[in-house]
Amino acid sequence: MAVRQETAVRDSVTPLGATGPAPGPGGVWRRLRTRPAALASGGVLAVLVAAALAAPLLTALAGQDPYAYHGDLVDSARGGAPHGAFGGASGAHWLGVEPGTGRDLFALLLHGARVSLLVAAGATLLQVVVGLAVGLTAALGGRWADRLLSRVTDVMVALPMLVLAIALTTVVPGDFPRPLLLVLVMGLLGWGGVSRVVRARTMALRGLDFVAAARLGGSGRLRVARRELLPSLAAPVLTYAAILLPSNIVLEASLSFLGIGVKPPTPSWGQLLSTATTWYRADPAYVLLPSGLLFVTVLAFTVLGDAVRAALDPREASRLRVGTRGERAERPLEGGESVHVGTRLAGSGAKSADTGTRLPRTGAESPVPHEEKAP
Amino acid sequence: MRVLPRDRRPALPRAAATASVTLALLGGAVACAGPQDDGSGGGDGKPAEGGTLTVLNSDAQSDFDPARLYTSGGGNVPSLVFRTLTTRNRADGAKGTEVVPDLATGLGKPSEGAKVWTYELKPGLKYEDGSPITSADVKYGVERSFAAELSGGPPYLRDWLIGGDRYEGPFGKGKKELDSIETPDDRTIVFRLKKGVGDFPYVATQTQFAPVPKAKDTGTDYEKHPLSSGPYRVVKNTNDGERLQLARNKHWSAKTDSERKAYPDTVDVRSGLDPAVINQRLSTSSSADAKAVTTDTNLGPAELARVGSDKELKERVGVGHFGYTNYLAFNPDVKPFDDPAVRKAVAYAIDRASVVNAVGGSSLAEPATTFLPNQKAFGYTPYDHFPAGRGGDPDKAREVLAKAGHRNGITLTLTHSTEDGETGPKIAAAVQQSLKKAGIRVRLEGLENNAYDEKRWDAEDAPGLYLSRWGADWPAGYPFLAPIFDGRQIVANGANFNHAKLDDPAVNKEFDDVQQLTDLDAAAKRWGALDSRIGEQALSVPLFHPVYQRLVGKDVKNVVISDWTGVLDVSQVAVR
Repeated sequence: MAVRQETAVRDSVTPLGATGPAPGPGGVWRRLRTRPAALASGGVLAVLVAAALAAPLLTALAGQDPYAYHGDLVDSARGGAPHGAFGGASGAHWLGVEPGTGRDLFALLLHGARVSLLVAAGATLLQVVVGLAVGLTAALGGRWADRLLSRVTDVMVALPMLVLAIALTTVVPGDFPRPLLLVLVMGLLGWGGVSRVVRARTMALRGLDFVAAARLGGSGRLRVARRELLPSLAAPVLTYAAILLPSNIVLEASLSFLGIGVKPPTPSWGQLLSTATTWYRADPAYVLLPSGLLFVTVLAFTVLGDAVRAALDPREASRLRVGTRGERAERPLEGGESVHVGTRLAGSGAKSADTGTRLPRTGAESPVPHEEKAP
Repeated sequence: MRVLPRDRRPALPRAAATASVTLALLGGAVACAGPQDDGSGGGDGKPAEGGTLTVLNSDAQSDFDPARLYTSGGGNVPSLVFRTLTTRNRADGAKGTEVVPDLATGLGKPSEGAKVWTYELKPGLKYEDGSPITSADVKYGVERSFAAELSGGPPYLRDWLIGGDRYEGPFGKGKKELDSIETPDDRTIVFRLKKGVGDFPYVATQTQFAPVPKAKDTGTDYEKHPLSSGPYRVVKNTNDGERLQLARNKHWSAKTDSERKAYPDTVDVRSGLDPAVINQRLSTSSSADAKAVTTDTNLGPAELARVGSDKELKERVGVGHFGYTNYLAFNPDVKPFDDPAVRKAVAYAIDRASVVNAVGGSSLAEPATTFLPNQKAFGYTPYDHFPAGRGGDPDKAREVLAKAGHRNGITLTLTHSTEDGETGPKIAAAVQQSLKKAGIRVRLEGLENNAYDEKRWDAEDAPGLYLSRWGADWPAGYPFLAPIFDGRQIVANGANFNHAKLDDPAVNKEFDDVQQLTDLDAAAKRWGALDSRIGEQALSVPLFHPVYQRLVGKDVKNVVISDWTGVLDVSQVAVR
């Protein structure tokens, strides 16, 4: 299955001729700005990241500490359920306290966000770096390097990630720092998708004139990869990373939920959820807060990722500007080979619509980058 | 006590992975409804015969061979099928810690300083096929528990019976029979021990003392269909004990068995269920679940919080106490735990209230200051050598540490299991928090459960400080204290339970002296005194004794919970 997918991607990507260098940051920002959903989710994420970064400060402001137990705030005889309504929310404990320990839930959630976001960001970065390296080597190396690396990538994509992550996290000695371990495990297992996108895109790019020109100009492979290909790969990789990030947050939560991720007393969302599940009837606030936060974060990342993808996608831009010829005529002319790309695009859209029907659909792990889908 | 790295009777049954041993133990565990005395789960009128009792469990009854079962008092489900020389008294509370005759006419006649124990079988005892039960069958049942292929039972007989350490069971090449068990006639059986053992009647409750007719023994396959001597016979054993269907044994007679009530006509034991599912099914009590109990699943903290606000449910929860202690174990071979001041500082600093909350609150655990469980049968003698109050005494701990030269506090490593439960990360985090107040910084070392069990019982390389727990094989001081504090129980390699490597000649002698006493009340007092004396050295910090909170279906009647098992006795339950 994986092998078939791989050829399908190659077939579908190569004739597309790809899109060339991405639009500049200014252009992306201009397009993002027109999407309220993108702005809203960006705002939510900014607040969240800022809150996570300032967690020690904020919790200190609230007069709390995520590790301090408050035995007097829970009812020991009732299984440690918090005294009072809404999970024991009060002036001192804004979001209530954790059942059993009486730890401040506001402080736990903020510190949990640090761990959850950091692990997810670290894992995504590692996935992108490894995926880029492998994808580029496969595309630019020899035939054998390509075959070998592509098969390895197939294996990585086909591997059931959660099962393997569970296995790996349990065999590692207990004193290894867990957040780092999670980053490594998730990062080193989950780069298959990035690698495929990068390889496919590079294959397409390397036949284009600007790359050929650079080579004729005497640039070596490394230099071509660095100067010519990487900037053009930025768009698809960034888009893919935006999809990976929320799924990494969920994976961290799942692993911690299963008890093999971050260990107590270090708080993380998954870990909070894991203890919270049994409390859904006795203390609903305890379940709703971490799950709500996780939901909002993942949703915001997904919406933003989608918006970034759209903003980076010249075809999307062209579709938006159908009928506004004046504007459209101007922009592609700005860059040298953009004209060339622009003209190709008209046809490529149709082709990808054709090939799109041939693509096997495998759900979430589909290696087909979004840009290749029919508009 | 030496053979297996096991954990006695985990109160959280899912942690039972250590050895199949523990599963068998929990075969003895159930819940109760209503208050301690004669709670009835609903319905009215007297308990009557008939109906099907369903048992919903998380752990499968994977060993059902009487030789392989490791039970306290004969187990719960196993004791429906296997009768033993003696058995536990099926009564509520402390009365339930007494040992009473079962197959035998009495508790056994000791002679030669409790080195020889003689039992007489009741007349008219029969197996499920109508054939008579003889003393030779009881002897054979004990003998086959020595066979390597039927391992898993408790180690006591191997240690105590003359020639037991060299005997390899009736199947091997060597000697076929064990000469230290004599059967002068069909109804008499005599056990000859190396040393006096006053607790022998307690041990004779274990399933190794169930009769097995030699002609019907099928070796390792015997567990699929063991010949019943009890009120029920095995109709079907599916998937290695995942489902066990029992029906009445026509040849069992209540006239020879005053302990088992056996009200239901059939018993259906289903296991492999998630604890949350079990409790949900019991609380909903729809159709067959209304006549269901569990022998191994406690109510969780969140479920207790719910039960607390639901009167109907509350009436269906039974509370039980089983002899068990969770403690912090020190290994003085590891620095700085060789210094008694450090150990005492930890004992002063411990905040038992937050540890109890981490277990699930005061309904699921009682703070402990003694190593012995807080029950009279064990010889419980209250003491608190390092009073920490409810929330710990950090000032006193700091003072002790400062005197010992640790003015800036101290950093320790606490080893625990990563599996959620009574030796899990939540308890460890609570300990870490409470010691922090006294300037004791604790680094947590979480190990995967099997690795953790291996490491903490490691004779050579045990951690310096770890969460541990110990349960009773029978309600008396000897099996509780000897494996932990008897110097001769220290092993060079293999599983060592004597965490402190305590080898004090005076303590050892006390073990020998008290063990011989056949006056169990007198023995209990001395066990209590010994516990208090050992406690002064702060070799462990007792944390809590777990409490069992078990739910039963709404049509379950006649709930009896003894302090021996701490759980509802399936042999007493009625569903009509």
